[in-house]
Amino acid sequence: MADISLTPTEAFGHQSDSRWSGLVPIGRQFLRALPLAALVLGVAVILNFALPRLAPGDPIDFLVPAEQANAISAEQREQLAGSYGLNGSEWEQFTRYLGNLVQGDLGISTRHGRPVTSLLAERLPWTLLLVGTSVLLSTLIGAALGFRSAWRRGTRSDVRTLTGVMVADSFPPFFVALLLMLLFSVQLKLLPVFGALPGTEAQGLAFAFEVARRAVLPIAALTLAGLGSAYLVARSSAVSELGEDYVTMAAAKGLDPSGVRRHARRNALVPVWTVAMLNVGALFGGAAPVETVFSYPGLGRLIYESVLSRDYPVLQGCFLLIALGVIAANLVAELVYPFLDPRVRRPGKVGG
Amino acid sequence: MTDAILQIRDASKTFRTGTGSRRRRVAALDDVSLAVGEGEIVALVGESGSGKSTLGRAVVGLERLDSGELLFDGVEYARLRERQLRHLRRNMHLVLQDPYQSLHPGMRVASAVAEPLQIAGTGRASSPRVYEALEEVGLTPASDFLQRYPHQLSGGQRQRVVLARALVGRPRLVVADEPTSMVDATLRGSIVQVIRDLRDRHGIAFLVITHDLDMAGAVGEQVAVMQQGRLVECGRTAEVFQSPSDPYTKMLLHAAAEVGRLETAG
Amino acid sequence: MSSTLKRSPGRTLGRLGLVLLALSASAAMFAPLVARHSPTRPSGLPLRRPGLGHPLGTDDLGVDIFAQLVYGARISLAIGVGAAALALAIGLLVAVVAGWKRGWAEAVLMRLTDVTLAFPFLPLVLVLAAFLGRGLVTTAVVIAAVSWARPARVLWAQVLKLREFQHVQAARAMGGSGTRIVSRHILTRLTPLASAQFVRVANAAVISEAALAFLGLGDPNQASWGIMLSNASSNNALLTGAWKWWMLPPGFALTVVVLGFAFTGYACEEWADPRLASTSGRLRFLSGPRRRPPTVAPVAPAGDPILEVRDLVVSYRRGTPPAVKGVSFEVPRGRITALVGESGSGKSTIVMGLLGLLPGDPVVQGEATFEGRKLLSAAAAARVRGRRIGLVTQAAMNALNPAYTIHAQIAEAAELTMPPDRARRRATELLGDVGLPASAHQAYPHELSGGMRQRVIIAMALANSPDLLIADEPTTGLDLVTQASILRLVQDLKDRLGLTVLIITHDVQMVLRVADELVILEDGRVVERGDASKVASAPTEDYSRRLLNTRLSPLGARA
Repeated sequence: MADISLTPTEAFGHQSDSRWSGLVPIGRQFLRALPLAALVLGVAVILNFALPRLAPGDPIDFLVPAEQANAISAEQREQLAGSYGLNGSEWEQFTRYLGNLVQGDLGISTRHGRPVTSLLAERLPWTLLLVGTSVLLSTLIGAALGFRSAWRRGTRSDVRTLTGVMVADSFPPFFVALLLMLLFSVQLKLLPVFGALPGTEAQGLAFAFEVARRAVLPIAALTLAGLGSAYLVARSSAVSELGEDYVTMAAAKGLDPSGVRRHARRNALVPVWTVAMLNVGALFGGAAPVETVFSYPGLGRLIYESVLSRDYPVLQGCFLLIALGVIAANLVAELVYPFLDPRVRRPGKVGG
Repeated sequence: MTDAILQIRDASKTFRTGTGSRRRRVAALDDVSLAVGEGEIVALVGESGSGKSTLGRAVVGLERLDSGELLFDGVEYARLRERQLRHLRRNMHLVLQDPYQSLHPGMRVASAVAEPLQIAGTGRASSPRVYEALEEVGLTPASDFLQRYPHQLSGGQRQRVVLARALVGRPRLVVADEPTSMVDATLRGSIVQVIRDLRDRHGIAFLVITHDLDMAGAVGEQVAVMQQGRLVECGRTAEVFQSPSDPYTKMLLHAAAEVGRLETAG
Repeated sequence: MSSTLKRSPGRTLGRLGLVLLALSASAAMFAPLVARHSPTRPSGLPLRRPGLGHPLGTDDLGVDIFAQLVYGARISLAIGVGAAALALAIGLLVAVVAGWKRGWAEAVLMRLTDVTLAFPFLPLVLVLAAFLGRGLVTTAVVIAAVSWARPARVLWAQVLKLREFQHVQAARAMGGSGTRIVSRHILTRLTPLASAQFVRVANAAVISEAALAFLGLGDPNQASWGIMLSNASSNNALLTGAWKWWMLPPGFALTVVVLGFAFTGYACEEWADPRLASTSGRLRFLSGPRRRPPTVAPVAPAGDPILEVRDLVVSYRRGTPPAVKGVSFEVPRGRITALVGESGSGKSTIVMGLLGLLPGDPVVQGEATFEGRKLLSAAAAARVRGRRIGLVTQAAMNALNPAYTIHAQIAEAAELTMPPDRARRRATELLGDVGLPASAHQAYPHELSGGMRQRVIIAMALANSPDLLIADEPTTGLDLVTQASILRLVQDLKDRLGLTVLIITHDVQMVLRVADELVILEDGRVVERGDASKVASAPTEDYSRRLLNTRLSPLGARA
């Protein structure tokens, strides 16, 4: 019988160990992603501190509504500067700002006269509801449509879906919001025009139903806003995977169409996941005009209100909070990669 | 050897691979010494990962050595800076394995072949030397080829264009990295013939890097065998093929015979 | 299911996109001719319904809405093109400097890019715009300052790829200066990707400007579409019915410009990534009914030959010249047959055509019988694939799915004919058969060497004990020593399992060591076939002689 054992050169490079199991890869991935997250957070904090000071004009002018600016005396200015941490040297201001930040003190809203943190805490859940649901829906729908297009690449059905999604994606989110409101609330009178909470004292399921009724239109507008990128990335990554040899091999070994598609889909998921997490950031941003249209009491609407009333402490707080949310989303994205790709989970031999 | 155009002395280079706890250093070159004489063809043989391509890239200055010396015409150049290296490079040329990739897809044959002249400032795409170079590698009549794009040529023709580019600047040394590995077997012999002709006519020395023992045996007077970064054997081609002294060379020749590459086992 | 289209959607969409953009551009250019009134100064009574003097009525200040609409194109296009040009310029500079110079410049620039990328786009633009002012130029600069990072990242990755391209390496070795190589070899090949990124930023910039304006951060002295929508909205246009002329026109105008950029952008993406554009790539084995495993077709009485091909003609799509031009051959049972030919001889096309694995809508004509049953239909091919015919595909290095363990991939194949637990035992057994140590059975493909992966593919092809094993270039790309061991393995498996083997290869010298039968192909036709040793020792055709004679004569033997 012929010798069919591995030659030394063949065995070279093979590593057999399964030390990397369970939580270890997640920990490693976390440590790898942490420096960037910290850096982004640092830049966000510094930007937040520096922007009002770099902007043209006296920061106090930003803090005081224009019509009152001339009416206040020098002492009042001084006093205001004190209450907004604008007195003392730049370095003193910065350390004070950092100290406050660590204690969770983001300053006081000029418009509401309340701590910014309590305002944010009040608004955040609503935005989370909108953004979370929309990211989930746009990713699921986008990926399903994108994969379906990829399987039918080069056919009329693919081109129809591609064109359709691109057209839908080209409507600016707030315009979609206006159209939805026009159709469902004004014309058909099916859904409430604005707000997030019912005016009446509904309880339990009825309450949840009322909340859902008010959230459905903003969620629809935001879902549409995130749909295009999810669809396009799912389609193009699945198309590239279909060009890989393992797909032909999967068909050659006798798998039925759904089996072959499963092989390609498994590897096309990584970019889809990345885009889903990028969409968290994008939709936090997109939420501002959409919430404004629906007068939905989320962070986005809060940004709009603070822009109009020049409530800069609140604006800065919103920005910091959103940056924090996006950093968290990026971290989560990194932590999931090892589960999606064994090459990240068990980095073995490099290359072929 | 005093008339060596290229001398490699104790060349070493390591690469880092892997990340985290798997990080390790792999020696791509481990104290390699080799000389190529004026107008000599040396075949450098090895399997993938033997470091033979790294050595070729180091010779033409695309890769920096960690330690060791490179001498061209007796002048050390391993540690020269990019600018100082430039005039030396006119005397050297690199031919790469994939003729599909080693030509810019948007550049016509004439501009591709003229590139060494343009870089040296001694000629242009319309220079007669471009025409002559094409004729010399067997692309006749050259006027048929000057204005074509790479995708309008066959694989064998493309490799000839690459060789024309190699000879147009009249270099004294050409490093050819796997010049026949992407060419059909029936055309392999003619590429080997072009290499030998260029040497005979212009005295260009060649360092031919290949994994193909058959080709190594046919192209040059000298053969050098590399394994995992080390030079395990070096000598006159006929002698090495007939009576290899190193066990790795023996194993290689044996395997080559087994897959029909060579007449008999070594 | 509709048939494959002749052309990829990119060209049509791209043209459509350019038409939409040209439309908006001409509105912008000829605005003074189209609109009779000023877009910023009142020209009538406020809140007029559309009428003769004012085709779309007037806004709350009495400014002509139609004029605002037409002049708005200027703002959207200026913002889109201006921000995109600026962002691309920064991105390109960062990408080329980082990718070409490498070293610390790359480390710093790419870290900066990562940080910028990690910021939420619109909130950052909002905050920046809130502090830096509301001018049009400020808006463009702010958008560019935030959006240069994606082009930088994408182009940088491409520069890294390009610098390893052989023509770039060759140019470096020739002593070309950095500027020369970057301008002639790198920038010229970055164009498609750079255009795609340009259009992408322009698209985002138009939407962002509109959103900023809608949120009250636009330049109040300009009639931008976002400001029109914002004004309409705050004047309750939705409830008064004015939305028909005050909201829909600017909203749809915005959509048209964005869509123009989106379509053009898609065309650029296809240009940059030809894989997206390829329409020949429809894979028929991706659609069709789900089959019920396990189904084993009853084995026809063992006849000889096991596979018979008569006058096979294959073209990749209707109307193109065939790649296989009437090929006939037989694969006798229990022997190793070799299909030999050089590139373009059609050798792989024959097998992929027989097994229904060719992409697109190929035309396969002629006759082929496997074990006495007709083979040339999608259904027939699907019945035998993996069950009765095992295929070792070309480029076996990449033929394993990186996401699953090799054991799972073999067990999956075996599950076609047996229950899962038996399939798992079978996988273990097969991996042992092809010489893989038990420690490697739960490995992922990337953890194995090329030779080991080739062995896994062979084990996979054998999962359902096929009658015929087809190996397409089984040794190409492997080291000599590994080639020898793979050849030994194939021979050993054939002897032990009584397999029939069909090897497809360009390497006639290699295959002569194992083949019993030889079929020599040239340009889609069989040149010569017969007993391997006979053909090898006395080829009758000129081409076979040349092919068999490719071994180079050693130097000493030359005259």
